[in-house]
Amino acid sequence: MATEVYREPFERRTKTVRYLKFLEGLADTQIGPIYLGMWGALAFFSYLLCVFITLIGWGEQVGWNPIRFLRELPVLTLYPPPPSYGLQIAPLREGGYWQLATLFLTLTLVFWTIRIWTRATANRLRPMVPIAFSAALFLYAAIYIIHPIWMNSWNEAPGHGLAAILLWTNHFSVKYGNFYYNPFHMVSIFGLLGSTLLLAMHGATILATLAYNSHREVDEIESSDEGTHRAQLLWRWVMGFNATAHSIHVWALGFATLTAVAGAIGVLTSGPFEPNWYLWGCRAGITPGIQASCPPVP
Amino acid sequence: MSVHEGAPPGAVAKYDELQRSILRGELVGLVAGTIMALGAVIAISLALTDVRNEFGLRADFAYNYAGVQQVDFVKYLARQGKQPAQPSAEALQAYSEWVAKNPKTVNVQVLNKYLGEKYNETANVFTYMAAYFTPGVGQSCEYCHNLQNFAAYEKPQKTVAKAMLIMQFELQKKWVNTIPRPEGQPLYHIKCATCHNGQAKFWNTSLKASNPELFGIAGGGNPTPYDMRNVGITLNGVTPSSYEVVDDQYLAARQDADGNINFYQVTANKDTPAGLNATYRNQYAMYHQNTALGVGCDFCHYGGYFKSYVTADGTFKWPKTQARHMQAMMQDIAINWFPQMPSVENPNQLQNYYAQPNCYMCHRGYVVPPGAYSFNEPFVPGVVSDIKPLVDLPLLKPILPNQ
Ligand code: HEC
Ligand code: HEC
Ligand code: HEC
Ligand code: HEC
Repeated sequence: MATEVYREPFERRTKTVRYLKFLEGLADTQIGPIYLGMWGALAFFSYLLCVFITLIGWGEQVGWNPIRFLRELPVLTLYPPPPSYGLQIAPLREGGYWQLATLFLTLTLVFWTIRIWTRATANRLRPMVPIAFSAALFLYAAIYIIHPIWMNSWNEAPGHGLAAILLWTNHFSVKYGNFYYNPFHMVSIFGLLGSTLLLAMHGATILATLAYNSHREVDEIESSDEGTHRAQLLWRWVMGFNATAHSIHVWALGFATLTAVAGAIGVLTSGPFEPNWYLWGCRAGITPGIQASCPPVP
Repeated sequence: MSVHEGAPPGAVAKYDELQRSILRGELVGLVAGTIMALGAVIAISLALTDVRNEFGLRADFAYNYAGVQQVDFVKYLARQGKQPAQPSAEALQAYSEWVAKNPKTVNVQVLNKYLGEKYNETANVFTYMAAYFTPGVGQSCEYCHNLQNFAAYEKPQKTVAKAMLIMQFELQKKWVNTIPRPEGQPLYHIKCATCHNGQAKFWNTSLKASNPELFGIAGGGNPTPYDMRNVGITLNGVTPSSYEVVDDQYLAARQDADGNINFYQVTANKDTPAGLNATYRNQYAMYHQNTALGVGCDFCHYGGYFKSYVTADGTFKWPKTQARHMQAMMQDIAINWFPQMPSVENPNQLQNYYAQPNCYMCHRGYVVPPGAYSFNEPFVPGVVSDIKPLVDLPLLKPILPNQ
């Protein structure tokens, strides 16, 4: 298979290599070997614990009935403790499961970040990937840990479950007066839509220049009239300025981290700094129409 | 070509061709997939709309701000393949013998008290019975009456029915007549059919616990008993299997300093206690109202700001203020009326635990309950109920436009 040509130099560095042929066309077919290491092992085991605790909690809720488990899976939820517990440790069935699962989930994410960091430095790479990942970690921490601590109640955090995260999103918005009026949420959405736009532009550009060998990134960069060259021409003609193989990635990273960081700031400011974003919108003069629905409301 | 020095001859070209063919395949697949997916979505939506209309599963498409009855009692029954109940031939026979002997009523205590002297005539009582009681509870006269003696309280059903009649009038007087309404909106009346919809036993059934959707209880997301417990919802101290609009927290709701009772306020201000549980409760209740009335949130709310009673263009949301009034009525039914209804098994005993009322009990998926009547018969002024409220639940200060 021709793909092997491309892989050859890397392949020689490892002993055991497997290929999953059915992945052809979707991804590179090589699978493994994987690096585990201490941080990898820690991340793996704490994630295992998190999943294990979650499954126990869910299993109890359906009386260990597998049919009910499958049927109710979309709505099964480990809830955080009720408000009366504040930040205390709660009994298992009243949020203790949630607290344990969240603890191990947090540890997993931290270990995983360290793992990426050590792998990046071991490869003598700049730590851009772990930095990008920490942006997501920051959003996670803001939602699950920092905001609840500021509000003095774990009850402010989302439950663990499929529907739970959607419900939380809705309820958080409702409680803080309509999250769409939160300026940080606006910026975060801007980043989210921007990243998808950039990703679509980038992906489409690379696929469009396949015929000019852009999949063989290394050598096509060296010759002119090849994929990257044409891609740059395309975007300069369309946008009026050059998107380079470097700039696209700077933009992509910037937009993507903006999404998470702005979102986190939006969550952290809700409550302690602004309890009601709609009223903030009224004060800022960005609510629609003649602001009929602004206070004084009954 | 530094990287490919070791490649077998022709391999690079073959690899390139593979990539190109994949790309071609992807594009064709993408276009075909999009067209098929769009087609399927359109077809399914069309089919569902048809099916739902066919079986009357939807309220009318446009929300009914004018408060006009979309479906009346007869049409509602017809959609389930039923007809309003009629008195049996024996009962009519027995009645004609009774009225010949007793043109004046013997033992009527409620109708004449609320609606006046007119109901001291047996014939008028008969008209009322035939128009509202029999179709309302879906039973002929002998269900409540000993056909030899219409005045006697021999059957427990009649004792229950009398208490129900008082409740019906009191709810009408206290809550429905006072519902804040825009000018020109018709006034409807609670009758037996409003709750019963042509069935004597319709609410305390085991079906209700096992099949909450049928009773309009489970709204979006179908909360499980575990949800109920975790958002702290209880009914008389017990966790219900699904969300009921009435729960202990709201039963205990009392007026605040401004004389307002707020059942479902959750939007944060500086002093709002931490936690999202109240919001979970609120949203379950709201989903229930959606299913019960067959509307979306924007029927009552301005979606930009749920707390508001006014939309962005200044329109006052009458349905929200009306719904708030109804929420208070629900609490009243739950605290004061259902617990005081006698039980059919032993009419000397109170029912104690009637299954909690909810909006669906009357509304059945429509803005105006199918079992409500627009026929208007004024009350005798100043009547006092024989059944005293257990808890004095004050009338809400209505929220009106330009306030
Ligand atoms: C005991 C029966 C009953 C129950 C229970 C009930 N309603 Fe009603 N509702 C009525 C009747 C009867 C009317 C018609 C009143 C009128 O407009 O004259 C009505 C009218 C309304 C209206 C105004 C509709 C319009 O445009 O005229 C709204 C909104 C409403 N109800 C909401 C609710 C909500 C929300 C609940 C649950 C909290 C509820 N109702 C529970 C009987 C009931
Ligand atoms: C759901 C129970 C119920 C049904 C069904 C019912 N009634 Fe009645 N009926 C009552 C009650 C309760 C009263 C007393 C009303 C009052 O006190 O105001 C009453 C009163 C009467 C009276 C007056 C008795 C007197 O004291 O003089 C007559 C006559 C009567 N009903 C006839 C009928 C006829 C005929 C039918 C069938 C068309 C019928 N009822 C169906 C419950 C019922
Ligand atoms: C506010 C709602 C409401 C209204 C209005 C109402 N009922 Fe009821 N009624 C109930 C509920 C709930 C039950 C319990 C039903 C069950 O057991 O499933 C009940 C039970 C009964 C029963 C006992 C049924 C049985 O066999 O257990 C009778 C008889 C009855 N109602 C008669 C009437 C009559 C007559 C009227 C009109 C004057 C009336 N009701 C109006 C809610 C209402
Ligand atoms: C039948 C009318 C009705 C429908 C439909 C309805 N609501 Fe409500 N909602 C109300 C009323 C009335 C209140 C205010 C209760 C109070 O003040 O005690 C309220 C309160 C709220 C509040 C709390 C606002 C505050 O003051 O803190 C939110 C949030 C809310 N509803 C969201 C929704 C959502 C989301 C939906 C759709 C799933 C919805 N509502 C559907 C009538 C309705």
